[in-house]
Amino acid sequence: MAAPMELSCWGGGWGLPSVHPESLTVMAYAKFSGAPLTVNAINNCWRAPKGEVPILISEDTVISQPAKILNFLRKQKYNADYELSAKQGADTLAYIALLEEKLLPALLHTFWVEAENYCSVTKPWFASRIPFPLSLYLPGKMSREALNRILLTRGGPPLYSLTEVEAQIYRDAKECLNLLSKRLGTSQFFFGNRPSTLDAFVFGFLAPLYKVCFPRVQLQEHLKQLPNLCRFCDDILSCYFRLAVSGHSPAGQDTVDANLQKLTQLVNKESNLIEKIRLSLFLCRWTTTFVRVLSIPLES
Amino acid sequence: MALAAEAFMTQLAAAEPWPENAALYQQLKDEQILLSDNASSLAVQAFLQMCNLPVRVVCRANAEYMSPSGKVPFIHVGNQVVSELGPIVQFVKAKGHSLSDGLDEVQKAEMKAYMELVNNMLLTAELYLQWCDDVTVEEITHLRYGSPYPWPLNRILSYQKQWEIRRKMKAIGWAGKSLEQVLEDVDQCCQALSQRLGTQPYFFNKQPTELDALVFGHLFTILTTQLTSDELSEKVKNYSNLIAFCRRIEQQYFEGHDKDSSSSATSRSAKRSLLR
Repeated sequence: MAAPMELSCWGGGWGLPSVHPESLTVMAYAKFSGAPLTVNAINNCWRAPKGEVPILISEDTVISQPAKILNFLRKQKYNADYELSAKQGADTLAYIALLEEKLLPALLHTFWVEAENYCSVTKPWFASRIPFPLSLYLPGKMSREALNRILLTRGGPPLYSLTEVEAQIYRDAKECLNLLSKRLGTSQFFFGNRPSTLDAFVFGFLAPLYKVCFPRVQLQEHLKQLPNLCRFCDDILSCYFRLAVSGHSPAGQDTVDANLQKLTQLVNKESNLIEKIRLSLFLCRWTTTFVRVLSIPLES
Repeated sequence: MALAAEAFMTQLAAAEPWPENAALYQQLKDEQILLSDNASSLAVQAFLQMCNLPVRVVCRANAEYMSPSGKVPFIHVGNQVVSELGPIVQFVKAKGHSLSDGLDEVQKAEMKAYMELVNNMLLTAELYLQWCDDVTVEEITHLRYGSPYPWPLNRILSYQKQWEIRRKMKAIGWAGKSLEQVLEDVDQCCQALSQRLGTQPYFFNKQPTELDALVFGHLFTILTTQLTSDELSEKVKNYSNLIAFCRRIEQQYFEGHDKDSSSSATSRSAKRSLLR
């Protein structure tokens, strides 16, 4: 019996189990391979050991990046790729590299850099799940990191201007979506009838783009014109994340998960409240000490 | 605006045939050029050879600064300057030469994916090795990169470039990797390429494509460049079909040339055996 495994990741919204691409990739892989993961939506980033998300905790091991988490799950015998041939395994690696090089910059731009999207959707969503006063700082930091990544990997020296790069990254992303659509064709998953690692990665990258409602949606519009990719995302959502399919997780597990999530949210809200009270008490005490210190020379 | 400019450039490119005096610019071959730039340059040379387009290689110390995108190599054809393999492939296609026309849509998607794999893993690993591994940086990179320039300019340029590359590594999450992890990634990439190549002569069976040129450029350079240790080339040597692939392309496209021409494939391997 494998040790219990716990995944900390960003929560869900807009019909998705998580809006963070990497968290979604790991969750999808766990569903495909049948790994029993308890998913904890992070409401307090300070509790995550290194601050990187998603994080898998199993007994004493803490693992942080999606590729490493998937490797760990495979070593625990939860392998979604055992039916793939060697060539298909090589193709998986190549397509994941394609996603990271061509699609990820535009995805980061849509979520974190495009001003309207960031201010009206991304920042409020993430800020509501991070405790004060970190919520004032962390979304901005994530946005700066995203911009940094885009400019350093795509921008040209010496000016690293964003406007020149924007057109290029969206063009590359649209080309990448077209290539994925051609590769998927009419099959249900990328390699036959069973989902594998590549399906998890593609789902993780595409589903937030597909489902989250943004004001500026050029990439989403393009994705919606590729019906097989939309069908791919919807199929995975309905088969693996909502309804029970025979042979996979029983219906009871879903309600248990839902209850657990509600309880976790309540506990987190309480702890947030406690922290706010603690902070205000600390401020009160500090103020009174300060006043006392100031009044000493007056008295004497 | 940039898109309109590009469309205009493509039309200009299509109007003229390939001239005889096309030139490819890179850094100085023996003293200055580094592993990653050499690999990129060799990839472009191989691609142009495969398309049967004549080009002469010109070595300049400031090639990096002459390039429109800041990266080498770049080609000067007629009155246009194009840098990096991707745009060069597009440019050559606009002139009517293409290696990947015979592929269907799914194969084209695969080819692009594998090219990204090489860029994502092999090229990044080469950059990591030459700019983030302290031993290599001290013994090779700092000495070579600024060698045409006098002190202190050589040191300043070298440190500036190192800082730039390290920022990039940090942004993509490679800064925290150790050398062993990087070498393991190289191994994984070579394994994927080896499995994809199988027993075929080229990646897409009978005819070489830009993917073959890119893979050849990187693997050949890794195999024939003397570094502080042999770990990187050992990773590639584990896969015999990749070595045979490199040898086949070298024999077919580079050995027909004179000794003092651009190919330098034979001269570099001679240099390697001399250093041993």
